[in-house]
Amino acid sequence: MFRNLLAHPVRTVLTGGSVLLAVFLLCFLRATVTALTSSVEQASTQRLWVQSAVSLLVDLPLAYESKIKQVDGIEWVCKWQWFGGYYKEESNFFAQFGVDPETMLKSYPEMEIVSGSYEEFAKSRTGCMIGLDLQRRYGFKVGDRVPIVGKIFPRKDGSPWEFEVKAVYRTTSAAIDQGTLYFPFDYLRESIEGGSAWGDVGIGVFLVKLRPGADPTRVAAAIDLLFDRGPQRVQTTTEAEFSRQFVSMMGNVPLLLQSIGGAVLFAIFFAMLNTMLMAGRERTRDIGVMKALGFTDAVVFRSLLGESLLLCLLGGGAGAGLAKLVEAGLQRVMSAQFPGFAIDAATVGVGLGAALVIGTLAGLGPGWRARGLTPVAALREGI
Amino acid sequence: MDHLIDLRGVTRAYQRGGETVSVLDGLDLQMDAGSFYALMGPSGSGKTTLLNLIGGLDRPDSGEVLVDGTDLAHLGGSALSRWRADHVGFVFQGFNLLPVLSALDNVLLPLQLTPLSRRARHEQAERALALVGLGDRMHHKPRELSGGQEQRVAIARAIATDPTLILADEPTGDLDRSSADAVLELLARLNEELGKTILMVTHDPLAASFAHRLVHLDKGRLGRIEDNPERRPTAGRPA
Ligand SMILES: Nc1ncnc2c1ncn2[C@@H]1O[C@H](COP(=O)(O)OP(=O)(O)O)[C@@H](O)[C@H]1O
Ligand SMILES: [Mg+2]
Repeated sequence: MFRNLLAHPVRTVLTGGSVLLAVFLLCFLRATVTALTSSVEQASTQRLWVQSAVSLLVDLPLAYESKIKQVDGIEWVCKWQWFGGYYKEESNFFAQFGVDPETMLKSYPEMEIVSGSYEEFAKSRTGCMIGLDLQRRYGFKVGDRVPIVGKIFPRKDGSPWEFEVKAVYRTTSAAIDQGTLYFPFDYLRESIEGGSAWGDVGIGVFLVKLRPGADPTRVAAAIDLLFDRGPQRVQTTTEAEFSRQFVSMMGNVPLLLQSIGGAVLFAIFFAMLNTMLMAGRERTRDIGVMKALGFTDAVVFRSLLGESLLLCLLGGGAGAGLAKLVEAGLQRVMSAQFPGFAIDAATVGVGLGAALVIGTLAGLGPGWRARGLTPVAALREGI
Repeated sequence: MDHLIDLRGVTRAYQRGGETVSVLDGLDLQMDAGSFYALMGPSGSGKTTLLNLIGGLDRPDSGEVLVDGTDLAHLGGSALSRWRADHVGFVFQGFNLLPVLSALDNVLLPLQLTPLSRRARHEQAERALALVGLGDRMHHKPRELSGGQEQRVAIARAIATDPTLILADEPTGDLDRSSADAVLELLARLNEELGKTILMVTHDPLAASFAHRLVHLDKGRLGRIEDNPERRPTAGRPA
């Protein structure tokens, strides 16, 4: 089988190379999809999210906080408000939230401070905490003042808001990104109430930290019931469901990536099939000779199938190996959008599995044809 | 009297363009062990068809093909494969070596079907190559050999498993005169020194002159079997 592959080095390398590329791409796509969906899977069961039953875009009254706190099984509540501004230019988009510094960090055991001090942030009025990725992307560091133009909450004097970097965080979970700027919600509230900024005081979502042992479903139902008769109904979801909403807001990227993966596999399958059909045809005479010598149909079938499998697994193995090799580099590029991007064993397995399936399918047809050839016909045809 | 090859009422026809073309029609033929036969006849007379039937590459439409006591007409596919591996060596006009394998590996190919150990297989393959005078070309690929050398490798492959019967279909058809003579002398030696029964298709009278007996085939009918009146003496080298 090896020798047959070596007989046509150019074709073997081209086909093997395309399998390599396909498997590499497949690994890459799968890792991306996994990173996306793992934000759902790794979501904490200790956190609930309370949002307007109408839409995430509708704010809830500030006063809801104290009512929610009274529900049994809740340890604390943290307010989150979407700020929706940009840094210098609109294309420099990243998320900013006004939050309660007292409860923010302790809601997230998956976060750790890598520079600056969280206490400084919590004490400050106009300070902010940024993700490590923002530091990498824009070079913000502790002590810098980051100007953010408010689109939802513009300042009345037309100037941008300014937040001084007090702390930088990183995360240990794929569920939480490293590209967000957090600032004290009270700064926003006071600015609006004091008349220096436009907008309405409201809360996008309340983050609810459950007491250990509390039943998330029961607590969520209790909160929903609280505002059942208005003034504004709420919807309380687990963090997993909440993340899923975000993933599906990305326009079903996972499905798109999966379709691309499928298309790549499909194309490669035909390249491989073509190679094996050519190999099977041009070896018609050899097949006849093998059979004349006494090799059975089954052996001939297996040898063509084996050749196809060998080629696919060599190509696929190289593809998966390459993916693993450049994993670190890819992670650096991908981490902004896809924290938790990794070429893990399951991804390598999927890549190799695809190569295996393609090799088998592409080898079956020519193998079957070779199996059915009579030695007389094969020798006559092959002359 | 027992014959090595015994064909009784063998017919074989092919379908061609909706028509049935009868090639062999009720053929009877007996051949003895240890002899060297030349099968002669015009092109299209059914020589290859007959050889394929005797070698178990093909089955007759009716009749019996008894070779060494086995009725090949009634063996199943893989039993027939097995039988071929044990009993016959084929030599073809176009040599039919596997291009990707060295001479040695080509000769080793049929030995893979034997229960011999790896070492024994190698010894036997090397012995066969030495016998055909190519002991020093073992590791050459077919395309690095001349036509005559390729055909001698093919003969080594045919005798590697030590079959009783060697079937050669126009083995010198693609060779120049001197290569052809070397191949024919080799076949004659295999017959004389190793006692192989040889059935060789040819329409070259010079080639036929190496055989003991001439079998004439014409339009699916057997002509005569005659002792070769002008048989060439082989070079007569001692074994
Ligand atoms: N597989 C086949 N299908 C159709 N026709 C065949 C086949 N094999 C042989 N023939 C025909 O049968 C006749 C005898 O062929 P063959 O046995 O090869 O003759 P020879 O070897 O004497 O030249 C020829 O007319 C040939 O065209
Ligand atoms: Mg012929």
